[in-house]
Amino acid sequence: MSKKILPDSSALVFVVDDDDSVRKSLRNLIRSAHLQVETFASAQEFLAAPRVDVPSCLVLDVRMPGLNGLELQKRLAEIEIDIPIVFITAHGDVPTSVRAMKAGAAEFLIKPFKDGDLLEAIDQAIERDRLARQQKAQLTDLRSRYESLTPRERQVMDLVVSGLLNKQIAFELGTSEVTIKVHRGQVMTKMRASSLADLVRMSEKLSMSTTRNP
Amino acid sequence: MSIGIKNRSTYALWPLAAQWLLGIAALTALTVVCFRLQANSTTVALLYLIVIVLISLRISFVPAAFIALIAYVCLDYFFTAPLFTLGLNQTLDFVAPVAYVTTALVITWLMSRVRKSIEKQQLAEEALRRSQAEMAHVTRVMTMAELAASIAHEINQPLSAIVNNGSACLRWLASDPPNVSEASEAAKEIVRDGNRASEIIKRIRALLRKTETRKVALDINQTIQEVVLLIANEAASKRVTVHMDLGPGLPRVLGDRVQLQQVVLNLVLNGVEAITSVSDHPRDLFIRSSEQSEGVLVTVRDTGVGLDHKDVEKIFDAFYTTKSQGLGMGLAISRSILEDHGGQLWAVPNDGPGTTFQFTLLKYE
Repeated sequence: MSKKILPDSSALVFVVDDDDSVRKSLRNLIRSAHLQVETFASAQEFLAAPRVDVPSCLVLDVRMPGLNGLELQKRLAEIEIDIPIVFITAHGDVPTSVRAMKAGAAEFLIKPFKDGDLLEAIDQAIERDRLARQQKAQLTDLRSRYESLTPRERQVMDLVVSGLLNKQIAFELGTSEVTIKVHRGQVMTKMRASSLADLVRMSEKLSMSTTRNP
Repeated sequence: MSIGIKNRSTYALWPLAAQWLLGIAALTALTVVCFRLQANSTTVALLYLIVIVLISLRISFVPAAFIALIAYVCLDYFFTAPLFTLGLNQTLDFVAPVAYVTTALVITWLMSRVRKSIEKQQLAEEALRRSQAEMAHVTRVMTMAELAASIAHEINQPLSAIVNNGSACLRWLASDPPNVSEASEAAKEIVRDGNRASEIIKRIRALLRKTETRKVALDINQTIQEVVLLIANEAASKRVTVHMDLGPGLPRVLGDRVQLQQVVLNLVLNGVEAITSVSDHPRDLFIRSSEQSEGVLVTVRDTGVGLDHKDVEKIFDAFYTTKSQGLGMGLAISRSILEDHGGQLWAVPNDGPGTTFQFTLLKYE
């Protein structure tokens, strides 16, 4: 997976549609809204393309030869590529749209649609992705800070956030209060926590993410 | 004629009185003739037997046995000595009644078996024909639905591309400063997409032309009757009565049997549907055929939901429909079929409830 780090404003819209003229027209329309766009003629092409690490969304045709839109959505979930999907289709049958929305689609539009509808759906999808990415990045950063702690520092951190005083922690770990003070200072520096409350919040985020994705 | 009741096998169900009358008339005639000629009793007995055989061929069990007995009484009374008395004096008096009755019973029994098997065969043939016709109809409707769906999809693609490119073009022009080169790129795409759409339509036209028509001289009344037979169940289940008033001795028309069936079927089914969608009107569908100067005029009048005057021409447009499940192709196709036959199809709102559809066909010459 190659990662191109681009400025946050450079969002990217992917379009997957097997129909030549529809694909070109989508490229034109999305470009006219000053968004970057990359188009693919099939689900396979899209899967084979390198991932980029920018806020993005996928405009996806439902009916395609080979892997169809819904199958691509499922495939992306399996390989844990979390990208908001705006479905477009010529036949808006209810069961298909329900399935797509249940599987987490951002929007389901029926061709031909109003330009505003598509562009708004794209904007919202990108915003959603931007937020998800921010949260994910914060968490990754937090995790790497936590991982930089020594086993003893992690013990101290866990006891600190559970509300024990230095003296109690020293007793708990069978060491002196001064040693705990040093460890505690290390924890605060390494975790870049500005206060005890800050550290508690960080600990909560970490434990939440570990219970959510064990 | 109201459909659902067909005048099949009337020959098998003579009214009882007619059976009696026929038998007695035949016996009386024979008796009078023989009495005048003073024929001898054996000759008369054999002649009676012939009459009983002939009558038994046509009538049922019980009357046949009675007529056989009456024949015996006549024989005994008028022809065996002593004349004008009834009594068992001769061998013939014993043999004749037994022979007459046995003959009558055996023949009526055989005939009823023959009739039953003929009827069974006719029913089977009709069922077969009906299921074949239904199959043909279903296939035709399926093909139409599939065709329409695929046309819709094919045309929708370039259309949505045109809409997208048009929007893009407008957005480029509206930006400050206007991006003319991008806008003209988008406009070029619109032209390309428009051409593509018309290519698709040309292809579909060529495809439709491939289904060649086979025009022959045909009896339009027969076509109407075939279709009405086909929808009899449908109409009956929706409590619609179909009245047919088919002109006698109409000239034959030049037409493709299947295509004209399709037209009539379409009009009749539309009529039934229109009637079904209202509850307070009489539920009648009238089909008339009559001769015209150049050919034949067929009228299908329903007492259904009816049409606005402004919709009268619109309903013949492709994809125009007033039905929730309709494709809007039926009348468009019907009209093109009739025009291809040199005929015409039009609709007139009734003075009362409902609509009248009329079409003309040219005489076969």
